[in-house]
Amino acid sequence: MNTHDQHGRGRGRTTPGRGRRRLAAAVGAAALVLASGLATPAAAQPARAAQTAQTAQAAQDGKDDKGGKVLTVAVAQSVDSLSPFLAVRLVSTSINRLMYEYLTNYDPKDAHPVPALATRWESSPDKLTWTYTIRSGVKWSDGKPVTAEDAAWTFTTMMTDSGAATANGSFVGNFAKVTAPSPTQLVIRLKKPQATMTALDVPIVPKHIWEKVGDFSKFNNDTTFPIVGDGPFILTDYKPDSYVRLKANKDFWRGAPKFDELVFRYYKDQDAAVAALRKGEVSFVAGSPSLTPAQAASLKGDKNIHVNDAPGRRFYALATNPGARAKNGEKFGDGDPSLLDERVRHALFMAVDRKTIVDKVFQGHAVEGQGYIPPRFSQYFWKPSAGQELAYDPAEAARLLDEAGYKKNTDGKRVGKDGKPLQYRVLCHATDPNDKAVGKYLQEWWGKLGIGVTLDCLDNVTDPWLAGTYDLAFDGWSVNPDPDFVLSIHTCGALPQTPKDTGATDNFICDKTYDELYAKQLAEYDPAKRAALVKQMESRLYDLGYMNVMAYPNAVEAYRTDQIKSITTMPSAAGNIYGQDGYWSWWSAVPADSSGSSGGSSSTGIVVGIVVGVVVVAGLGVLVAVRRRATADDRE
Amino acid sequence: MTTANTPKTTKTSEPGTPPAAAGARDAAARGPRALAWQRRRASAARFWAEYRRHRAGVVGLAALVLFALVALTAPWTVGSDVASVTDAPGRPLQGPSGQFPLGTDQFGRDLLGLVIWGSRVSLLVGLLAAVLSVAIGAVIGITAGHFRGWYATVIMRVTDWFLVMPTLVLAIALATVLSRSLGTVILAIGVTTWPTTARLVRAQTLAVESRPYIERAKALGGGHWHIMSRHVLPNVMPLILAQTTLIISSAILSEATLAFLGLGDPTIVSWGGLLQDAREAGAVSSGDWWYLVPPGIAIAVVALAFTLCGRAVEAVLNPRLGVAR
Repeated sequence: MNTHDQHGRGRGRTTPGRGRRRLAAAVGAAALVLASGLATPAAAQPARAAQTAQTAQAAQDGKDDKGGKVLTVAVAQSVDSLSPFLAVRLVSTSINRLMYEYLTNYDPKDAHPVPALATRWESSPDKLTWTYTIRSGVKWSDGKPVTAEDAAWTFTTMMTDSGAATANGSFVGNFAKVTAPSPTQLVIRLKKPQATMTALDVPIVPKHIWEKVGDFSKFNNDTTFPIVGDGPFILTDYKPDSYVRLKANKDFWRGAPKFDELVFRYYKDQDAAVAALRKGEVSFVAGSPSLTPAQAASLKGDKNIHVNDAPGRRFYALATNPGARAKNGEKFGDGDPSLLDERVRHALFMAVDRKTIVDKVFQGHAVEGQGYIPPRFSQYFWKPSAGQELAYDPAEAARLLDEAGYKKNTDGKRVGKDGKPLQYRVLCHATDPNDKAVGKYLQEWWGKLGIGVTLDCLDNVTDPWLAGTYDLAFDGWSVNPDPDFVLSIHTCGALPQTPKDTGATDNFICDKTYDELYAKQLAEYDPAKRAALVKQMESRLYDLGYMNVMAYPNAVEAYRTDQIKSITTMPSAAGNIYGQDGYWSWWSAVPADSSGSSGGSSSTGIVVGIVVGVVVVAGLGVLVAVRRRATADDRE
Repeated sequence: MTTANTPKTTKTSEPGTPPAAAGARDAAARGPRALAWQRRRASAARFWAEYRRHRAGVVGLAALVLFALVALTAPWTVGSDVASVTDAPGRPLQGPSGQFPLGTDQFGRDLLGLVIWGSRVSLLVGLLAAVLSVAIGAVIGITAGHFRGWYATVIMRVTDWFLVMPTLVLAIALATVLSRSLGTVILAIGVTTWPTTARLVRAQTLAVESRPYIERAKALGGGHWHIMSRHVLPNVMPLILAQTTLIISSAILSEATLAFLGLGDPTIVSWGGLLQDAREAGAVSSGDWWYLVPPGIAIAVVALAFTLCGRAVEAVLNPRLGVAR
């Protein structure tokens, strides 16, 4: 039922690959540390950066061998799959956006649906039949025409093959039948009205290529290059965790991109990526999830670098485990039972100073959290009324805890009726510095209330998350212009079938009132009425106290102005560049005339020099000692 | 080994080494226990006199005493509040100034205070991990040297296996699997660095057990436990002490490396953790050197100091090394 939007999976818990990556990076760094004589490991970074620069094949100074213009983007997130049927991560879905055209796209100015592969669309009076007119004259990169039949086949495959439904299956859950009466006409019959029919974020794939695929759940679309597509770029080469290379599609119907080539190059270390940007090895750094305040501040001083600091589309929240359960009613996990008391949740809510988090952790590169949907989506943005707001108020939080029966004992710890002190496990992403930083604040704020906090920072949070073996967790999702997906992940329908299954649910919330509102908004075609319903849902979610939205982090990214003359942000007034709802940024990027690159900053050189010096001194000391000892042992 | 201890249970079995025997004449009336203590005092004094001749060792020891004092007095000089993020006195990432001699970190905390506070964890982990490592190594080395036979073969093959394993990779694997805490880091370092000690101790055990007095002890009915604890252990103890001092420095480095790689407990302030924080805050690329350099230098200096001390102790206890100096 829900229109599962893959862009929403920007930063949630779908990061199992990150763990492996992290370990690999750690092992790599460890090897370097050992090689450099076992000392201050900070020296490993420049070394690694240099290595990446050598191994990556992309051209220097924004030009390839033939003199074409190359746009190089530094990324960190691994590609989970290049198959549009499987890809859920932000990097993969962004690349899918570039490879394949969708039925509709979002306007870069205000994100209203605009024609893409479909030139027009209309619904029948009973709201159950949608007819799309498919653009004629569009060709796949192998010369075959793009027809309505390709679109019909794509949707039908997702409806019939569960392997093909992995990533976007929920879009078609409510589809009854999809047909292509003519090459330019696509007809979709629905079971029930669905408000997201102009926001179907499904890449349309070429039927003549994909019908040969046997098992959609295994095929990752990375066997033959170039990959046949009809988007603004054509993927020509891909090496996992090394690079993704795309060339411009000169025949793209909206117009050819200005750059001849687009390369996503991997930098697992953000500092290395920033150094590469300074050196001109990459044109753009997005950071994962964004540049740190220190990096942004230092890059702002550089002549040829522009720092884009724009309201983001993500929310950053603290999710509470409401007692994990499956659709079949079975309960699992071991969330703290005290969290089932709304007063306790509200007390925790009130003991978090969201303003301090924005000021200190994000250092102003974020907006204080209120409702569920970021203010950037003004249509759906909701904030609590004065009476409803759970503002920072430790005294009131303490009163609520007393009222709920969790009184302080002689050690100053809150103790429940069972005599056990309150101690919460907070699940955090080891790869996200913000999680750790906010965790330190939580430890002190909640510590003053008498509640203990154990910070569980893991590379792979997916396993405990799905098993429900946590009390609270750092959570965050990218929100789409159509909020259906991020709303759907809190419905009872998103719960897993059995404890062993994986559901689309975020943190096992299941609330009847919320579900009723969700069903209503999905069937509501009037935008104003639907927005009102969405706001009611946000209000309900806020009152439940399961999701404490602490901040809406900005997208902080930087690019070289001597390589990129101009680039479209989304929304165009103040918006992000990486991870847009569409291909606007890379498609619109205009290369700069001159592409000279400047050297690295001298201050970095000094730091590296000092650190290397210390390493060498320590290394020599240890080495001498070891050598002398070795001879001693030999004689013994 | 000149510092061989006199077993208290066998009153007349050991004639003792000549210098101790000289002291024994004056103290003959005071009984064997006092005699033993006197001999120990004498050998300690001799040890110190010898140690003082190693200038590098003295410098290392001075540095260690300084760091130990700083770490032990930290609760009174800086206090645990220095690690508090909610009461941070400064703005984030301020450069060194009169108020903050080493600048501030990403939360606005005083870095000088953090480096001082972090010394406690770094030294504690270094010491405990080294003690754990050497304890495992000593037990395995002594038993392997004492029992010989199939037991020694099996246990030494296990030792060899650990010896060829890349230590840091193994420690990373362990720290990843277990939950993130100080105990985990200590365990991860301890159980991966013992094989060298085991090899050294076994060699020394074999040498000690070939001496005639061991045979005599056996003839008088001394069991395995008696021989290992009363005769072998005191004789390998100097070796163990020297080894501990040397392993501490590598344990401190390993702790810093693990914390830097993000495998430590993020809520605990340690030198390696500070480096990791600095890296995550982007201090390297933004040139905030004061965030990186102090913990880095502190790690290097302490590791060097322990190495110098260990070297000097080793040279004193094993005079044959003096030639190589």
